[in-house]
Amino acid sequence: MREDHELVSRAVSLQDAAAFGELVRRHQSHVRNFLRKLSGDFTAADDLAQDCFMHAWDKLHTYSGRGSFIGWLLKVAYTTFLQSKRKSKRYAEILEQVGHVTEAESRGYTVQADEVTDLDRFLAVLSEEERAVMVMSYACGLSHREISEATAMPIGTVKSVIFRGKEKIRTNFDIKDHQHG
Amino acid sequence: MTSKIINMAERLKDDEDRLLESLFASAPIADDGFSTMIEKRVRRQLWLRRMVLPVAALVGAIISFKPLAGLVTMLAGLTTLIPQDVLKVPSDVVPQLPMLFMGAMLLAMCMLGLRALQE
Repeated sequence: MREDHELVSRAVSLQDAAAFGELVRRHQSHVRNFLRKLSGDFTAADDLAQDCFMHAWDKLHTYSGRGSFIGWLLKVAYTTFLQSKRKSKRYAEILEQVGHVTEAESRGYTVQADEVTDLDRFLAVLSEEERAVMVMSYACGLSHREISEATAMPIGTVKSVIFRGKEKIRTNFDIKDHQHG
Repeated sequence: MTSKIINMAERLKDDEDRLLESLFASAPIADDGFSTMIEKRVRRQLWLRRMVLPVAALVGAIISFKPLAGLVTMLAGLTTLIPQDVLKVPSDVVPQLPMLFMGAMLLAMCMLGLRALQE
């Protein structure tokens, strides 16, 4: 089986869509899971995942090979998520200006799954930034350095965000009594 | 060395970290044609990008055909302004010199146009 790096160089140098398709097959689950946890909306997350992979295709030549490919991909996913948030915020502002009442801006983390899991409850108490960092760390297994690169935060900030997130979860829940999310 | 120490420190997880990892863990999402869809979109984008230049060149050629024909006529008219003595000597050496001159001008213009389109 080819390494991610090999597939990336094939996709970039030969414009090989099949090589990129293989990369998508390998990492789609991680990216979609990340975006689902971040947004709480499965349908919107899957749309964002599509946009993310198309952005990744356009920017693939910028992947230097330093660090894992999934780390780089999650960076693209996080940027795509933030861009979409900014767009919907602007849209909400325009709607407000023309007198429409909207919930979109004030909405933080709303779960649209049939069943609300413990993880959903944990994620709901975290800020957007904490959610992204905690999910990257605990769900995707990224190192502090990789999270720092993906979120453009200094490593020290990443550590303090994780500490703060854990503190919030600890204050709000007795995590030892909870089932797996 | 320092980064190795940092990595080792990161690996030393306590019980709470392990518990959080298990809480954050979720089942892999089935592909269900997701990657095939992305691959198709990528192929379509590649095809579109490959088609843009020839199509743009063709459309440009169609649009510019009439003005270009006018330009050629004008250039042909300009050659009559050049003193016959100057033209005579080289024309004797190369009989189709005015034609070659116009051809070279057109080629240079086409190349500049194509370059501008590519950019």
